[in-house]
Amino acid sequence: MADSKITIALAGNPNSGKTTLFNALTGSNQFVGNWPGVTVEKKEGRLKGHKDVMIEDLPGIYSLSPYTTEEVVSRNFLVDENPDGILNIVDGTNLERNLYLTTQLLELGIPVVVAVNMADLIEKNGDKIDLKKLSKELGVEVISISALKGTGIMEAAEAALKAAEAKKNAKPIKFAKDVEGALTDIEGLLGGVPAHLKRWFAVKLFERDDKLPENVAALAPKAEEIITKIENAHDDDSESIITNERYEWIASALKGTYGKKGAGELSVSDKIDKIVTNRWLALPIFFCVMWLVYYVSVTTVGTFVTDWTNDGLFGDGYYLFGNGREEYTEAMNEYYAANVWTDEVTANVQKAADAGITGADEILAAIEDGDYEAFDEAYGFYGAELDEKADGAYSISDTVDTALGEDAELPANEDYGNWVPGVPVLVENLLDAINCNDFLKSLILDGIIAGVGAVLGFVPQMFVLFAFLAFLESCGYMARIAFVMDRIFRKFGLSGKSFIPVLIGTGCGVPGVMASRTIENERDRRMTIMTTTFIPCGAKLPIIALITSALFKGASWVAPSAYFLGIGAIIISGIILKKTKMFAGDPAPFVMELPAYHWPTVGNILRSMWERGWSFIKKAGSIILLSSIVIWAGSTFGWTDGAFGWNPDLELEDSVLGAFGNGIKWIFAPLGFDDIKATIATVMGLVAKEEVVGVFGVLDFEGLTALAGYAFLAFNLLCAPCFAAIGAIKREMNSAKWTWFAIGYQCLLAYVVAFIIFQLGSLVTGAGNIFGGIIAIALVAGIIWLLVRPYKEATTLQTAKA
Amino acid sequence: MMPLTIADRGVEYTIRKIGGNSEVRQHLADLGFVVGGNVSVINEVNGNLIVNVKESRVAIGKELATRIMI
Repeated sequence: MADSKITIALAGNPNSGKTTLFNALTGSNQFVGNWPGVTVEKKEGRLKGHKDVMIEDLPGIYSLSPYTTEEVVSRNFLVDENPDGILNIVDGTNLERNLYLTTQLLELGIPVVVAVNMADLIEKNGDKIDLKKLSKELGVEVISISALKGTGIMEAAEAALKAAEAKKNAKPIKFAKDVEGALTDIEGLLGGVPAHLKRWFAVKLFERDDKLPENVAALAPKAEEIITKIENAHDDDSESIITNERYEWIASALKGTYGKKGAGELSVSDKIDKIVTNRWLALPIFFCVMWLVYYVSVTTVGTFVTDWTNDGLFGDGYYLFGNGREEYTEAMNEYYAANVWTDEVTANVQKAADAGITGADEILAAIEDGDYEAFDEAYGFYGAELDEKADGAYSISDTVDTALGEDAELPANEDYGNWVPGVPVLVENLLDAINCNDFLKSLILDGIIAGVGAVLGFVPQMFVLFAFLAFLESCGYMARIAFVMDRIFRKFGLSGKSFIPVLIGTGCGVPGVMASRTIENERDRRMTIMTTTFIPCGAKLPIIALITSALFKGASWVAPSAYFLGIGAIIISGIILKKTKMFAGDPAPFVMELPAYHWPTVGNILRSMWERGWSFIKKAGSIILLSSIVIWAGSTFGWTDGAFGWNPDLELEDSVLGAFGNGIKWIFAPLGFDDIKATIATVMGLVAKEEVVGVFGVLDFEGLTALAGYAFLAFNLLCAPCFAAIGAIKREMNSAKWTWFAIGYQCLLAYVVAFIIFQLGSLVTGAGNIFGGIIAIALVAGIIWLLVRPYKEATTLQTAKA
Repeated sequence: MMPLTIADRGVEYTIRKIGGNSEVRQHLADLGFVVGGNVSVINEVNGNLIVNVKESRVAIGKELATRIMI
């Protein structure tokens, strides 16, 4: 029943332990959404053991002033939705600042209970806090809790519940006499508002708050005379008068309540900051930390789990706990040595290597090592070279095909150790068992499982990365990075807070774009959203790896160059966009609380990791699933010998997808890759960037020069991100117009950059045409002009006033 | 009076004046920067400051720090 339900609002400063408390109070009974019309996350949950009690987690705020979206959302909820009570969590190590919000909450005429977090820490520091006296001063119940350890939290929630049921409305604090007099006069003007809200609206009117409901705002002219009188007497503006009154009240209330011993001394956290944010050490430390994070999540743990997911769970299968892998590998190597690497094969490869055929030395090395996996890989890449060169004199395909063909008796996986077949194998067996028709079988296996499986393969790696990022975030280091990066980012029109989305974007663009929420200034936030996906995300790494190994012989400069390209695109975009009318004006001044360093709880890290990872999985399950089916249909429907129909063995060129690629490939001609497969790969990249590799894995790279390959890489790295990230952009922009603008800008920039790379590169190598070269030079000149032209005046404010 | 940017590290000062528009001033006040309150600089990086105000550590940009007079 709606009317028997009790709602308790959970309010507190950022970094006060509010999220930890909320998680501890509600457990897994949480509902996450958005506050209507804005991109502020709305969380609510049922109180453990009380089915009828809802805890509404308000955003972390410092005040109920009307300046940030979070504050407006919170006060609208408290005033309009009329919660039955407020549980106000305050950080005990930082009482003075935290109680500032409390003094405002007390004015709402709603029952309030104050939970002092980390009170145990205060005692440990040798400081004293008299909660009984504090409770008397505030006029509400005060309870000591530790959100981290979970002590006192249920008592606090139950006290809030009791106060709410008893409707023990909190009493506002008293200001100086003349201010009180003025507030009473203003209250007298407020006819139509509920009695319990009179004090709140009177204070807000006095402060000349500009986000009041119409009927209250209409009274502002009448109140003006009262306000001005007080302002003249205090020689200050009304807003500052109230602020000062609050802090003075807090100071006097805390006198005799709160004794601090070590005032003025540097805390442990300060000492860490002296090193971590040191002018010279800050960046090297940051790079070391990030290197470590990436080393673990991408190259070791992440790769191990991702390989298992791709080749095992969504591949042929895997050995449980690796049991049997060695025996199987040994058997395979023996089989290859006996049947594949015959004297003739080895001799042919040796001859090819001597003749300098590409890749022959790699195949030879694999044979000499007796490593069948390395042989498969090298042969898969370069086998065709041996067939084609010198009229097939070096060809080894006959022997290999016979030895590994369908009739060959290879060692079977299931004969060794504990072999577990992969999902596709299991599903295929199941479908065969129920005599499923070929069409449905192909749809399920090649369309759905192959498509979604490829994407899900990245989930483990992403989870590992998110766990690290969650740790950096909740221990307090991320805020320091933003602080250190601020001076650098400010040079090209972004603030330090824009760095966090970019950093998370190196894992996945979806949570990266979502992390832009912490940027209060709308202009800065939009610009951050537009540029975040330029940085190569986890799914773009395979594209880089493929191009590097196939066209640049594994040159070590290609991968770093991709990151520099991304960073360069962010910097150039920042400067260029900042000089347009839309984004004119300095980025908002940097101000951010730095929480004391602390060990986060495992639960909170896992929760954050799960939330971000889950938002990606949901996308894989919806958008990517749908797109995979469409692409499967596009590549299996087509023309066989002139007749249209369904054919699972269709060549790409003959399919609907191929026809589509053929129709639009001219777009990429100036970039050097007017090739059906490259075109389709780019389109598939919109579904998920790693799909690009799926198409290109079978591509004959002879069609592409290294230069065109790099242009292809540049275009795919910078153009519109995958649908999942576009969805995130749309949600964060909260506007279709801005979403299209962002995507249009990204594609345009990608096209221009790829164009310049290909055309100028062609000129240098002597293969280019003059016409393209001239346009490329003109484009470079255009970009330079956009970079160096003067900043526009910030006209937005003036036009808004006019 | 001098701006906070040139304050000595580790020394406690009293805030005398806060400039800027009312939005900036209110935001600073919400974080604990009020005239008459104490503030001390913990660390400085290229003009950006980490300060101790009302027992919490707040990072503020150079642009804001120049508006806080001590």
